[in-house]
Amino acid sequence: MIVFEHVAKRYAGGVQALSDVNFRLEPGEMAFLTGHSGAGKSTLLRLIALLERPSRGQVLFEGRNVGRLSRRQIPALRRRVGVIFQDHKLLTDRTVFDNVALPLHIAGLSFAEIKRRVGAALDQVGLREKSGMQVPVLSGGEQQRVGIARAIVAKPPLLLADEPTGNLDPALSEELMRLFCTLNELGTTVLIATHDLYLVRQLGRRTLVLDHGRMVDDTVPGAPRTMGPEVLR
Amino acid sequence: MSRAGSMQAGLRGWFRRHAYSLFSSIGALVRAPVASGMTVGVLAIALCLPLGLYTALANLNAMNTDLERLESISVFLDTDLDATGARRLASSLATSPDVLTVDPISPDAGMRELAGATGLDDLELGEVPLPWVLEVTPAREGDVGGLAGRLRALDGIDQVIVDLGWLRRLEALLGVFARLVELVAVLFGLAVLFVIANTIRAEIQSRHEEIEVMALVGATPAWIRRPFLYAGFWMGLLGGLGAWLLVQAGLWMLAGPVRELGASYGTPASLQAPPAALIVGLVVGSGVLGIAGAAVAVSRQIHRINP
Repeated sequence: MIVFEHVAKRYAGGVQALSDVNFRLEPGEMAFLTGHSGAGKSTLLRLIALLERPSRGQVLFEGRNVGRLSRRQIPALRRRVGVIFQDHKLLTDRTVFDNVALPLHIAGLSFAEIKRRVGAALDQVGLREKSGMQVPVLSGGEQQRVGIARAIVAKPPLLLADEPTGNLDPALSEELMRLFCTLNELGTTVLIATHDLYLVRQLGRRTLVLDHGRMVDDTVPGAPRTMGPEVLR
Repeated sequence: MSRAGSMQAGLRGWFRRHAYSLFSSIGALVRAPVASGMTVGVLAIALCLPLGLYTALANLNAMNTDLERLESISVFLDTDLDATGARRLASSLATSPDVLTVDPISPDAGMRELAGATGLDDLELGEVPLPWVLEVTPAREGDVGGLAGRLRALDGIDQVIVDLGWLRRLEALLGVFARLVELVAVLFGLAVLFVIANTIRAEIQSRHEEIEVMALVGATPAWIRRPFLYAGFWMGLLGGLGAWLLVQAGLWMLAGPVRELGASYGTPASLQAPPAALIVGLVVGSGVLGIAGAAVAVSRQIHRINP
């Protein structure tokens, strides 16, 4: 699903965000990406969704070199990757329904189909009854779940989450993580950037560790629950 | 699915996407009524200036033509020409294409008019021999000076008097004003273009988050651009309509005073509204300007998100 080969990212101004990162994420896998703040977690996710282009090396998604895609090909890539942002990136002047429906409107689905799928996605995150509400009246956790519903509504094969539990209390965080595990069990590949090491340890999934832009660890603590292939390294 | 079927499905998707853009653009305008109202107001006022100036100039030109028509040439015939000769000359002049009417004034009538105008009575004026006078009203589009010259060359005509001085001065003044209006109209037209482009650019910058979100969930640049293009079109369109209403209101407010002014000249006067073609052109043109302004502004935003 995702392959990083000798990937480096240097921002204008000389900040080296990633250097020589190598890893592989198989279809159906679920992994956490951890590390101190500024270690390059967000940059790594941004390279996959082509919000940035790598300075060196290649990022493959479904066998295609993402860095080489032309501008015209970017939208098609992003429709196959659901991204959940720490700051939600919701349209604050729209209802919950309209926010979740956005990717389906872009795909040009009929309203009946959109209604059905949005309803299903909101069911999954437990927000069906808040469908008609405006985003700003929701709590932080609810807004985060709206973001998740939007990311999964078009059923992308890959889900990326950047600090999805950033501002949530522990109970809510755990609930969210369970939701990601459920989605993974339904077949979606999931990569979650987080510094919530307690939760990561508790869930016992594959964990990639970044330190100052370098991949320093790639482990499966405890008994891995995934049936996917062994970690390649 | 058959090939025709998949094409049909694609077309349906295309319509759905356009319908979404159309309604979301209207939604965005309605959600922020004050901001949209102010934008449309700025556009309306900016657009109404050139339209208003144009209308004013068109009306002044029309009024000038009306005044020219009021102007008449006094043709003094030789004193030895009698009533029959005068009337014959009058009817022959009346057939000329650059003459609208010929009004013969007998010496007696002329004497009465003179007495009335000077306050002297017939006795004091005595036996001053007055000639027959033909009051010639030139045709609307005629060249008054040329007509006067030709009249002078005719037999039996003693003197031709045209008081064109004030009319020429008015014409010259209008010429200067017309040039000034053209100049100002061009400047305001340019200002309108910049105002629309800039207003929509500002509008788009205030919604850059929305553009970013759309790009992040896989919207194509065309899809992102579309609601803004619609919004630009709506704003330009409403601005154009507003400008037209403003000019119409101005005409309505000026109608009374203009009627009074016309009455003082003894002629019915009314203001003409700008021609329908110009209004349609203005409204559609401002809509198109809105689209152009929006297109420039959006593509800059999209480039920032799609590296």
